[in-house]
Amino acid sequence: MELTQVRYFVTLSRTLNFTRAAEMHHVSQPALTRAVQRLEEELGGPLLYRERTLTRLTELGRSMLPHLQAMLDAADNAINLAAARRTQPRCSLKIGLGPGISASVIAALIRDVAAALPKLTVSFEENDALRITELMLADDLDCALLPGDWAMPERLNRWPLYQDRAAVFLPDRHELSQMQSLGASDLGGETILIGDRCGGFGVRLIETTGQEFRQFRCGGTAAHVLELVGAGLGVAILSERITLPEALTKCALNQPLLERPVHLASVAGRPQGPAVSGFIKLCRAQRV
Amino acid sequence: MSLRDQLSQRIEQALQNEAYKAAYDQVITTLRDNGFLPNIISVGDRFPDFMLPDASGGLVDLTSLLARAPVIIQFFRGDWCPYCRMMLDSLAEALPDIKAAGGTLVALTPDTHGLALDAKIAHHADFVVLSDVDYGVGLAAGVIFRLPPLYRNRLVLSGTDLAVRHGNAAWFLPVPATFVLDGEGIVRWRFADPDFTKRAEPADVIEVVRALKTGSLG
Repeated sequence: MELTQVRYFVTLSRTLNFTRAAEMHHVSQPALTRAVQRLEEELGGPLLYRERTLTRLTELGRSMLPHLQAMLDAADNAINLAAARRTQPRCSLKIGLGPGISASVIAALIRDVAAALPKLTVSFEENDALRITELMLADDLDCALLPGDWAMPERLNRWPLYQDRAAVFLPDRHELSQMQSLGASDLGGETILIGDRCGGFGVRLIETTGQEFRQFRCGGTAAHVLELVGAGLGVAILSERITLPEALTKCALNQPLLERPVHLASVAGRPQGPAVSGFIKLCRAQRV
Repeated sequence: MSLRDQLSQRIEQALQNEAYKAAYDQVITTLRDNGFLPNIISVGDRFPDFMLPDASGGLVDLTSLLARAPVIIQFFRGDWCPYCRMMLDSLAEALPDIKAAGGTLVALTPDTHGLALDAKIAHHADFVVLSDVDYGVGLAAGVIFRLPPLYRNRLVLSGTDLAVRHGNAAWFLPVPATFVLDGEGIVRWRFADPDFTKRAEPADVIEVVRALKTGSLG
């Protein structure tokens, strides 16, 4: 299929008016109609019902539109990104991180974007999945890493990024810190620190094992909970991807194995600046 | 054995299976009947500029590659395709000669999620492999088509889910076209065939690169 055919169809899907779509692309209406007909031949059926007073998408048109829109955006973004590499504009990348999801996972990818676009400003917002979603829809965040079990609205595109796994974080001086891996039974005498914005692995450990643990609850993020672990208040069950602060150790938790998928999300069809499109492409291309 | 001979041996054998033959024929007749080839950018056209993620990390742009022109742009479907595997092996083998002739080889696949890197490692491909995420560059080059139902169903049954591999449920693929670009990014030679078992012969590509380098390409 051809770029202009796809471009004409995407415009037509918005205007639902052949004359207006042709005007927007500065082509004659028959030229636009022929291009869309060729696309229809290639995709194997009509994309639009052409009625006297009403133009509307067919079922095939509706099902193909998001794919054609994504492909058209990708074509434009690949060109815009290459142009930005030459002109080096100021650009920004605003990333949301769901509870307990570490920025360490994407740090190298941000470095790669900054290597191409040195005037990049990056910001992070760590919050619960609902708030992150609201911020994305309000255009205050460009994209986000969110837990895969979060029921995202349909307006968000999502791609599985990696399988997150829980580990036990404890002080270096702790007697269990020499162990290669730990099970729930090893943690019987420990206080488990439960943060309300840490990804929920601690609560899952307690619920899945049914074991009695001493608990200490804290309204904070993984970074806050790790401060408390360092002070000797207890141990924490957090994502193994979290970078280890000084004087702490992390041990794999293998009994039970606690996992969760982490997805990359962004708002479907929203125009993306070069840093955003570069970052999303890097995330999707690689296995992080 | 030439790549051409390896590919034709493989397809002759595959066509013994009637269900496969029906799926294969549907792909080729669909592309032939709907006038696909004229949409592909051709000799004299400027190849669309791009910046894409490298399988090995980082972003790669065409302008940087053109500093080491002639640039060979090779689209491929993915490591799941036996014909692509043969082609990648053959290109990896030809790479020292391509480099000696002064060419820079870049391969583009719609595969994502680390699969482009898997292909690069599996085929000892010491050339740049890029993920054409959501087929953007392929669309701009005119090489993308929608996979017809019979072939698509065969892939699903064999566990090759392109929706997962591409992170996009469109079921689009590129025809495995080859473009040789000069230092200005102009297409100076092209190979494109609706039959995905027909590929540019590495020896022919090397000849083109040599000719471009010496200024003797007609």
